[in-house]
Order: sequence, then C-alpha cells, then structure tokens
Amino acid sequence: MSAVREPIVGGYVHVPYEGYEYRVFYEEAGQGIPLVCLHTAGTDSREWRHQLCDPDINKNFRVIAFDMPRHGKSIPPVGFEKEEYRLTAKFYSEFIMAFCEAMELDQPVIMGSSMGGNVCLHLALNFEERVRALIAVEACDYSPGWFISWLAHPHVHGGEACATSVFGLMAPQSPDDYRWETWWYYSQGGPGIFKGDLYFYSVNHDFRELNDKISGNVPIYFMTGVYDFACTPEMTEETAKKVKGSETIIMEGIGHFPMSENPVVYKEYLMPVLEKILAAKREPAKAGAEAGGST
Amino acid sequence: MAEFDSQWMNAWQDEVNNDPALPLIGKYFTTDFLIGFGEKEYCVSVREGRVERINDNLGIETPWSFALRAPRESWDKFTQKMPPPMYNDIFAMAHPLHGSLRIDGDIKVMWQNIRALTWMLDRMREIPDRAVVEERATRV
Repeated sequence: MSAVREPIVGGYVHVPYEGYEYRVFYEEAGQGIPLVCLHTAGTDSREWRHQLCDPDINKNFRVIAFDMPRHGKSIPPVGFEKEEYRLTAKFYSEFIMAFCEAMELDQPVIMGSSMGGNVCLHLALNFEERVRALIAVEACDYSPGWFISWLAHPHVHGGEACATSVFGLMAPQSPDDYRWETWWYYSQGGPGIFKGDLYFYSVNHDFRELNDKISGNVPIYFMTGVYDFACTPEMTEETAKKVKGSETIIMEGIGHFPMSENPVVYKEYLMPVLEKILAAKREPAKAGAEAGGST
Repeated sequence: MAEFDSQWMNAWQDEVNNDPALPLIGKYFTTDFLIGFGEKEYCVSVREGRVERINDNLGIETPWSFALRAPRESWDKFTQKMPPPMYNDIFAMAHPLHGSLRIDGDIKVMWQNIRALTWMLDRMREIPDRAVVEERATRV
C-alpha cells in the first residue's frame, strides 16, 4: 500500500516591502487562475489545507496560501522584540499585493476569512486593477469588540486563551476533529500576535464611511456563516448593501472558520462562486461590474 | 425550559465530575464563581477542575471571583443539545453586539481558566432528562 501524499508544495519567497525584505512561507497546489488564500487572525496558512488539496478546486486554480509575517513559518522582522505588534489596513493590504507581485501573480483571485475577509474591502478600494475577484469570507465593514487585553497577558496562557476565545465562533454542527484542529492552530500563535491582528480586525478596520467608494469593477463575494457572532450575517448583509459589485451568500450550519471547521459544507457554497469566476474569465475585463450589490 | 434548580445543578455537577478530561485541563482551576440564571444564582466551588460544592444560599459574605449572569431564556438556548446561533458559547452571549450574558468580577481568573471553564459549561448539554434528574438527591 502506497502512502497518501498530498499535492501541496511549500516554499519561501522574499517579499520586499517599505525597505525591508520579509521572508514569507507559502503553500500551493494546482494550476490555473491564481487563488490567494488569507488566513484568519493569529493563525497561519494551514487553515486552507482542504481547499489546497481539493482536485475540484485546484484543477482550475493555482491555490496559494501564505503566512503573514509573524505567523506560521514567516518569521517576524528584525527588531520585533522591541515593538508591540499592531496590524493596520495599510500594511495588510499593501503586503498582500507585495506578496502577489513577488510571486508574479497575474490578476489573482483573493479569498480571505475574518480579518482576511475584511481586508478584501481595502483591496477592492485601492487595488481593483490588480485583482480578478474577491471572496470575502466572514467579512463586514466594522467588527468591534475583539481587541482584548487578556489575549496577550503574562498571567494568562496565551495559547489556551486565544484558542478557546474563538472556539465558540464555530458551529456546533461542524465536526469535532476539524473544530479542534482549528483550536490547535490558534493555540500556536506567537505572543501578542492574535491581539495585534485584532487591532486591525476590531479597531483599525472601520470601513463604514468607505463602502460606497468601491467602484464595483471587481466582483466581491461575501460569504458568512450563521454561527459567526463576531461578524453576523446581518452585519455582512448591511455592508454588502452598500458595496457595488457584491453578492452575499449566507451559509447555514457553519461559523467563522468555514474552510477549516467544515470544509465539506464550505465547498457546497464555494464551488458556485468559483464557477462564476471561471465563467467570467472568458468575458472581457470588468465582467463583474454589472453585478450590483445583489443579495 | 430547563429548571435550573438544585436538582438540575446537581445533575450538572455529576456530569462535570464524571468527565475524564476535566482533571487534566482543569488541574489548576480552583476558584468559587457565581452563575446566575435570571434571578436564581449559585456559587460554584471548583477545586482542581471538579465541582466540589454548589451553594444557593448567597449572602454578602459569600465570596466569588467572577460571575456569569444571563437571562434564563439565554441559558435555555445555551444548554440545548444543538444550541442556536449566538447562544452556543459564553463569548457569543457576552459579545457587546448581542449582550444577553454579563461577565463581572475578577475576569483574570476566568481568562486563566477559560479552557476548563468553557468545557465545564458545555457539559450542561449532557444533563439527562428531567425524570432521571429527579431521581437524584439534592445536594445544593
């Protein structure tokens, strides 16, 4: 009997950004349209392992998931020990595009969850000419309440506290093994990294006055699970109403981490989106512009 | 709706104390915390991950470290075998956007033991039917 081998291949790319060269880890599988996957706050690219390995996805898409600096196998910049890490929309969105440039990706689709979903709004506003489509999972224009001091406190076990604080964001219907695997990822973030990401998620990301500035030239697919209490379906729907070129998909029986907590259910909702993106590929540029904020 | 009375609390205590994981993940979880189901409040004495005692005769000299208080309707949803969205977790119920559960007191103790505490509360979903609970003696 031969061993099970996954199609995922890992690599390191050096990403120049604002005078510093970041050593960034990524995993990829498949061929076709680049599909760049963004992990959630405080974790890393392992969250996307199911989608990377899925032949229905990677036969048409080159699926790439990378670790942001300070996450997973991407080391922090020199001098991190003297700073309090706080992710900003500027760094996050510009770094994503710097990674795509370093990887020489042409018009990638970008799919992110949670903070990776929220940043899709910034990408739509500032980089619409450089992306093909955006899949904003568990995203909305403002998601307060998560910049919590106990998540980075020397009297509290960061791994257990960070991981447990997000466990209930997953649906009770999601399989136990995948929910605990997600908990495991969260237990492994560096000290203060989850909280630093949440600075973006709950403080710096306030897009409420910017929603209507998105042109609609790039299609945006909002996908939110009904068990997400950080970004509820209502919060996503309210945002999407104001964002031109968007479509909203509410996912039953799933929570804040669709790709890792229940990849089977997530796939049911994701495949029609990917098929639309594939179909649009044959259309002239700006194929999604007429989509127009439907829900 | 669950009664959240003494018998129900004792049934929960049994589930907690028969759980094989809690002595491991709750090894350092030792405190007295308050849990409130609407008007009805209990002080739960936890020692090394086990519920040693539950007291419903609370007075000004009943010490507790942190408190979890929510309407009975919220706890009723929380304790269902398959809880509905926004009621499956104490942070879901405590989130400022939903707000039905209030957390007070020394929340550092809560955060220090958050894994064992949430595991302990999840055992409320395993409490047997009322008929079984009623057969048991009340110890609160």
